Amino acid sequence: MNKKARTRLIVATGVIVVAFVVGVVYLVSQQGAYYKQVSELVSGEWDGKNVEVGGRVLDGTISRDDKGVTFTIQDLSGASDTVDVAYSGQMPNTFEAGVDVVVIGEYSAAEGRIAADELQTKCPSKYEGQGTTPTAPAAVQ
Amino acid sequence: MIDLGHLALVVALGFALAGVLFLALGVRWQRRDLIRNGYYAVYAFFLGTLVASAVLLVAFLKKDFSFAYVAENSDASLSVFYRISGFWAGQQGSFLLWLLLLAIATVVIALRDLSRLERLTGAAVMVLCGVSAVFAALTVFDEGSNPFIAAAPGTTPFGLNPLLLHPGMVLHPPALFIGYVGLTVPFAFALAALFIGRADRLWVTLSQKWAVFGWLFLSLGIGLGAWWAYVVLSFGGFWAWDPVENTSLVPWLTATALLHAMTLYRTRGIFKRWALATAALTFFFVILATWTTRTGLISSVHAFGRNEVLIDILSTLLIGSALLSAGLLAWRWRLFASGAPIESVVSREFLYYLTDLMLVLFAAAIAFATVLVPLLLERTVGPETYDTFARPLGVVFLALIAVCPLLAWRKTEGAHLRRVLTLPLVTAALSVPLWLALGFQSDPWGFIGLVVCGFAFGAVLQFVLNAARRAAGPGKAWTAGLRRALLGSRTRSAAYLAHVGMVLIVAGLLGSTVYKAESTALVATKPGSEDAVLTTDDGKYAVEFVGWRTESGAQQSQRTYADFDVFTDGGSTYVGTVDPHTDIYEVSGAAVRAVILGRPFEDVFVVADEPFDSSSEAIALRVVVFPLIRWVWIGSILLCVGAVVSLWPPMRPQEALADDAAAELAARGRASEASA
Repeated sequence: MNKKARTRLIVATGVIVVAFVVGVVYLVSQQGAYYKQVSELVSGEWDGKNVEVGGRVLDGTISRDDKGVTFTIQDLSGASDTVDVAYSGQMPNTFEAGVDVVVIGEYSAAEGRIAADELQTKCPSKYEGQGTTPTAPAAVQ
Repeated sequence: MIDLGHLALVVALGFALAGVLFLALGVRWQRRDLIRNGYYAVYAFFLGTLVASAVLLVAFLKKDFSFAYVAENSDASLSVFYRISGFWAGQQGSFLLWLLLLAIATVVIALRDLSRLERLTGAAVMVLCGVSAVFAALTVFDEGSNPFIAAAPGTTPFGLNPLLLHPGMVLHPPALFIGYVGLTVPFAFALAALFIGRADRLWVTLSQKWAVFGWLFLSLGIGLGAWWAYVVLSFGGFWAWDPVENTSLVPWLTATALLHAMTLYRTRGIFKRWALATAALTFFFVILATWTTRTGLISSVHAFGRNEVLIDILSTLLIGSALLSAGLLAWRWRLFASGAPIESVVSREFLYYLTDLMLVLFAAAIAFATVLVPLLLERTVGPETYDTFARPLGVVFLALIAVCPLLAWRKTEGAHLRRVLTLPLVTAALSVPLWLALGFQSDPWGFIGLVVCGFAFGAVLQFVLNAARRAAGPGKAWTAGLRRALLGSRTRSAAYLAHVGMVLIVAGLLGSTVYKAESTALVATKPGSEDAVLTTDDGKYAVEFVGWRTESGAQQSQRTYADFDVFTDGGSTYVGTVDPHTDIYEVSGAAVRAVILGRPFEDVFVVADEPFDSSSEAIALRVVVFPLIRWVWIGSILLCVGAVVSLWPPMRPQEALADDAAAELAARGRASEASA
């Protein structure tokens, strides 16, 4: 066996693997958001941090203007805590009052508001779990 | 009927377990009669799943809403096409479909082997029966996964979600499942080869077509999902780096590595451990995908509710298969040593190695960020993070795809290297004015990536040219060999197509994500008024409201169109009319549909942000321009055509077998030459 080629192979593999692992770990530690419940935000600990929060969109809180949309979401784990959300990006198709959404963005404790960069609604195939008896959804009016 | 379906599942579970037992003993004691009995158990298992599936399908066709699952996933207004798709619209039916497809693959393999009763195949069928038993157990023991549960009295059928009423979404889940099952077969054969310690090419020969087949359907499934997301989900893109999307991409990446390792294993007797490891890894990631989607442990827009029995069973399968594969591989490590070590870093082997290594690392990184980061660190990673590592990696893969086929096996001489790299460098240079004309200089990294695409395009041409030269023979013009180069070897033609497809896909991905331009405005629904026009932020397009139309749409829905004229060149040139619309369904709610205006080099994607009707005073309109996005779809088609070409059965089977034997001899010759 060719020793030189083998050494090169091992060195090249090592360099690639190490560079890759360091790069990915660094990216993940620098970016991303903390997954939190609405009720966990009130402590103030997460002020100014990027958070990912799930909640139910409250009826009658959605308002739209030129800058985008604002609404209020309520904790999903049963607590009565709410937080405001401001969002100006693409609206997911299933967004409406009463749906569960996940928002990602910076939380400001002073305003009690998340400036969301991302807004996702729970996907269509998931009606189950939100009440097991199928009935017509509220959307049909 | 519900009881019949449930009973059939219990029977299927029993026979799958019986199959495992008979085959384990038959393989262990080398008893053909036991292997034959194992195959008979497989037939019974197959019949059980067939009956269960038929019961569920008939329930959907006959609108039998006494099945809770049927009531949850269809209603009386749906057409036959969409009622059938209700079968796999939820978790219970998805698992049953998985099980049915596994049973079909297992029974086909067992039937073909019934006259030989080969130990290797027997062991592989045993693994398949084991995996099948786990899925059968899920549907039997987990209430949330059992499609045969009676509906509560007075249940109103729920209907299929309007977003799922699209052919892309009807075909996407079965395509994915066929892909997953196809990729389970090479895993079963890899484990079988490890069990019985057979290090020759037989397991690859028997499972390579299944691997290509699985890879093809996984590609189709991912492509259909992306297409559906683009045209139906209307979020202004086709890939959101959502956990469920990611976990279907991960096995695709390792399966791509597997296909390459298998080819080298079969033709040159190298990359043996890579082939085994990537087969095992692919299966692990397939189960991880199911685990992520179905256990709900990872927050996802797709995830179902939490479910303890399901978590236990799937987690056991996941960890069990990982430990088993790793243990067997460690046990047989020396037996599966490569026939010839890599001699030079400027050789085709080395670039194959790099490609496989990077594919696996890429897959591991996505799996890490998608599954482990949320689970262990309670953090989530957004699209920008994935983009940061995926974009440069995409360009690196492209460069590898481009250069790899041009290098010689074992060692490439400098003169050869210079000669084959000239044409790619020329096409790279020629592509620069094209990208400049399309306005892509705004992002330096995207631009570099696109120039590499130009390089890769030339490299594929050079690849064809080399083959033509060789086919023509010395002293003749390359044109004389072109026909044979293109049609002579199917696997090579398949590789050309797949590689051109990949070049187009990467160029399209770069163009449509790096240079995507989005504009929004509230547009007044008063034709002719100034507020009725949206002008894109770069001023390139003007979109003007001209009127309403309403009609009855599919599935007895009420459809409202808003017509917009699209102008370019500062509003002077009319290029077309688009009609984004809202569908309101009787049972299942409202959905907004985007409309796409195709232009030669870009798509103009127009969608309303909220449902509207003809009394709305304004529409929240969104216009997104996606450059080069069609190249992604065209490239995906080429990629799939490439896979089909390589799967097509040979015209004369004897000839193919002779070919195979010759390759084996050549590989042995090289191996002995290398060890000498």
